[in-house]
Amino acid sequence: MILNMLKKDLKRKKTMNAILLLFVIMCSMFAAASINNIAAVTGGIESYFDKAEVPDMTANIQPGDDFEDKVRALPSVSSVKSSDAICLVSSKDLSYKGRKMDNFINPPYLVSARDMAVKYFDENDRLIKSVPKGCFYATAPFLQKLDISVGDEFELNVGESRLPLKYMGRFKNPLSGNDDSSSPYILMNEDDYEYISREPKLENFKVRSLYINVSDPDDVRAIAKDTTYLTTREEHKSLYLYDMLSAYIMLAISIVLLVTVFVVLRFTIGFTISEEFREIGVMKAVGIGNGSIRSLYIVKYLAIAAVGAFIGFFCSVPMSRMMMKNVTKNMVLASENSILMGAVSSVAVVVIILLFCYGCTRRIKKLSPIDAVRNGQTGERFKKKSFMHLGCSKLPSTAFMSLNDVLSAPKRFAVITLIFTLCMLMMTLMSVFSLTLKSEKILWLFDVPSSDAHIADIDYYRELLDDFGSYDTILDRAEKMLSDNGIPGKCSTCFGTVYEATYKDKKANLWFFVTKGEKNDLFRCSEGYAPRKTDEIAMTGYAMEDLGVGIGDRIKTVIGDKEYEFLITGKFYTFQGSGHAVQVHPDLDLVKNDSISTVGIQVIFDGDPDQATVDKNIEIIKKAIDSDKVFNTVDMIEYCTQMSDTLAAIKLMMMILTVIVTAMIVILMERSFISKEKSEIALMKAVGISNRSIVTQHALRFVIVSVLACIISLAVLMPIGNALMNYICSMIGDVSDIKCAVDPVDVFIVCPLVLIGITVIGSFLTALYTKTIKASDTASIE
Amino acid sequence: MNTVLQTKGLCKTYIVNKRQNNVLKNIDLSVEEGEMLAVMGPSGSGKSTLLYCVSGMDRATSGEVTFNGKSTAKLKDKELARLRLDEMGFIFQQMYMMKNLSVLDNIILPALKSKKNNEERRQTVERGRALMHRLGIDDVGGNDINEVSGGQLQRACICRSMINSPKMIFADEPTGALNRSSSDEVMNELLSLNRDGTTIMCVTHDPKVAAKCSRVLYIVDGRIAGEKEMGHFDSSVNNLRDRERSLNNWLMEQGW
Repeated sequence: MILNMLKKDLKRKKTMNAILLLFVIMCSMFAAASINNIAAVTGGIESYFDKAEVPDMTANIQPGDDFEDKVRALPSVSSVKSSDAICLVSSKDLSYKGRKMDNFINPPYLVSARDMAVKYFDENDRLIKSVPKGCFYATAPFLQKLDISVGDEFELNVGESRLPLKYMGRFKNPLSGNDDSSSPYILMNEDDYEYISREPKLENFKVRSLYINVSDPDDVRAIAKDTTYLTTREEHKSLYLYDMLSAYIMLAISIVLLVTVFVVLRFTIGFTISEEFREIGVMKAVGIGNGSIRSLYIVKYLAIAAVGAFIGFFCSVPMSRMMMKNVTKNMVLASENSILMGAVSSVAVVVIILLFCYGCTRRIKKLSPIDAVRNGQTGERFKKKSFMHLGCSKLPSTAFMSLNDVLSAPKRFAVITLIFTLCMLMMTLMSVFSLTLKSEKILWLFDVPSSDAHIADIDYYRELLDDFGSYDTILDRAEKMLSDNGIPGKCSTCFGTVYEATYKDKKANLWFFVTKGEKNDLFRCSEGYAPRKTDEIAMTGYAMEDLGVGIGDRIKTVIGDKEYEFLITGKFYTFQGSGHAVQVHPDLDLVKNDSISTVGIQVIFDGDPDQATVDKNIEIIKKAIDSDKVFNTVDMIEYCTQMSDTLAAIKLMMMILTVIVTAMIVILMERSFISKEKSEIALMKAVGISNRSIVTQHALRFVIVSVLACIISLAVLMPIGNALMNYICSMIGDVSDIKCAVDPVDVFIVCPLVLIGITVIGSFLTALYTKTIKASDTASIE
Repeated sequence: MNTVLQTKGLCKTYIVNKRQNNVLKNIDLSVEEGEMLAVMGPSGSGKSTLLYCVSGMDRATSGEVTFNGKSTAKLKDKELARLRLDEMGFIFQQMYMMKNLSVLDNIILPALKSKKNNEERRQTVERGRALMHRLGIDDVGGNDINEVSGGQLQRACICRSMINSPKMIFADEPTGALNRSSSDEVMNELLSLNRDGTTIMCVTHDPKVAAKCSRVLYIVDGRIAGEKEMGHFDSSVNNLRDRERSLNNWLMEQGW
């Protein structure tokens, strides 16, 4: 009996059931994709490193060094793998289409496919198991300023050795940097590698890497020599700082998307069930029990939910892939069990739908048959539905009707407003995030002093990387170069390295940063004050937690051969060192350690020139030092983060996604409204109200709601944007108090126009369906 | 007298499950200005379909409908809507109204949409109130539609049908959902409008309602089976009884 009724219901209410099915598909698709993304992002680097089998520590040594044997003998070491690499002294050893390559600055490394001590992945995240003879893969820095495609031929010429190589595509090496300033890695067939390694000219440029799994890294440090370059798994994570920023933005957007679809779903189920009240009343009147009536609807929604979730699950796979692909090209961010996750999400959607349905049908119990026949209204109303009056209003009648409809069904339209607000927030937040991460507001968090120009060419300040004491020479040389070229200015630089800091019995490896030169505006303490003497320091909150200290405590550190005691005077924020960092007084001299960090030389031109002059001066510097790596602030941030393309891609994707979601919501909602208001539409036609008026009235309701959504979202944008931005940044570094930047054109004009535009078009085109309702339908409506 | 409404060879056919259903078959009809015409017939005979086709709420399959000298078949949807808005009024068995508007707003809505009366909104509201006063429902103007009785609501529907001073009112079972006393009140209002010169075409099952009309058509299987001239009703009790008796006899002859 129930099945027969269900069959008839599905057939008879085709439109509403189809709409509900579409919503379930959409919800299931977005839920599965969003949960997959959330799992992938929160797993993030850790999951990528696990997948790639990144060890606890890596060590770069000279071939033949006895360090390898010593490490293998350590009791705390559980496994050691090794790989060899050859450093190509000059990128010009490689040629493409007969031209020597000079597109990357740092020398490339050749690695053999036989020695894959960690796992490498191709650009589609597939594990690379081997490389065919005569072919090679390359990491991202290889591709800068190079327009190549798979299958292109290159030639490797070193000394007497010649090797033609075919490009197979990008590969992801978890332990190599992906920014333009990093060395490219070239993964080649083992026989090709053997052949080229026999070249005498490369004999002195071989490097051996050890991949060590060790329970206590200090054991390895204890036996390390000065020439041994050690990097821990944690330190390798800093390579993905900016990729994680994009990933966390995607996480935030996925959460917003998830909330949106469940709000839509809850609304649609409530709306469709309210359509059924008349039938529920009839069933109650003829004596069918509450349980039976409820089970009928629950079975119906179970059927729709199961079909929708099944289809949605399959649609979610490409969607999730597309979203994650846009986030980062440098990491493998796919969730481990994406299929299982998707399936669980889809089942969860079915369960949630049933819970929604159970909640919505709860009223059946309370209603008397006649109440239900009256569409769930008891007939007694103590609150007026229409508090606006057409006679008193100055609005044109169509506009009045639209506004009155919105105000008369506040719950219904509030839900739509909420959904549109979330859609609008998805767009505006991306705009705000993208601009903030490109603006000067964030530059200081990368420990870059604010300035007019930035010299980021390593060749120009290479001495600093070998000896921190050379900063004076480098800054003097830079200032002399400026003055010789008629563009006098002052220079500064910030650099840092890792030292072990101790407080009582606690130890922590912290990044120590110092700023030298003219400009020192990095001393922005959120609490306390910046160091005023050489025995004072400011620390990040994370660093304080590592040592269990606070402002006013004293910590000890060995710098060079000397032990220092520092008084903690303030707390500051930074992305550097994943937020585990210390700022020292500018007069303190740091000594180079294992890890080095600097973002080059910053220049402030004399006379406070305008932007056009600054850009001209930058061109002069480029010529003077023969390098393209001189940037203005905007380009410097892009150079620092390499996020512009990623953010632009996410922003575009968000825009498209929002347009699709909004259009679907508008179309499906309007279609369900038409279905519910068929009698009123027919009546309006019967009394002679034109199709145009009816279509306009319906479209206007959505316009009112979308305008309201724009206003609300713009009002909450900054608080939400700031909170989310700080939350995202706090995941990556010890960063707080970031104030988002706003592009007024984008946020106040483009985004609202997109939302309102798509609402107008969607609702107008859907409202045209009212033309199919005839005036004579007035009499045949239930 | 002028002919307000005329049909020639009016046919309406529905196709249901690939089967042709001829609901109206060659209906020739004319309604004179000031007439009050009742359309009667058994269920499914095509009474309501006839009303919808002649009022332009539905398109005829063939034949011609002329309203106030205009052939409705030649009018576009927009022009037809304008004609319904300005020249016709409608009353239905169910008191259909816009749920989100108050009773008064429902009444004045067609007037605000119409360009017929070039007046300010305030004047329209006054006219709406005057109509409500005339029909004795002026105290429920600000109420929601579910806060008034069926009889009051149907009278509000009459007010709405009258707001643009139409040439003709089409009523489909206007008393079908009302009790006897409300039904009498509504019919009295319709009679009063008719006396003031408004032409009325009323579909009904109720001989008591039809007895108050000036002419009765009897439709069977989509054809006009009979027609009875009743003359104008003068509202005396005896006159009504005589008319009812006469109509019932005639209806019995028709197979009622």
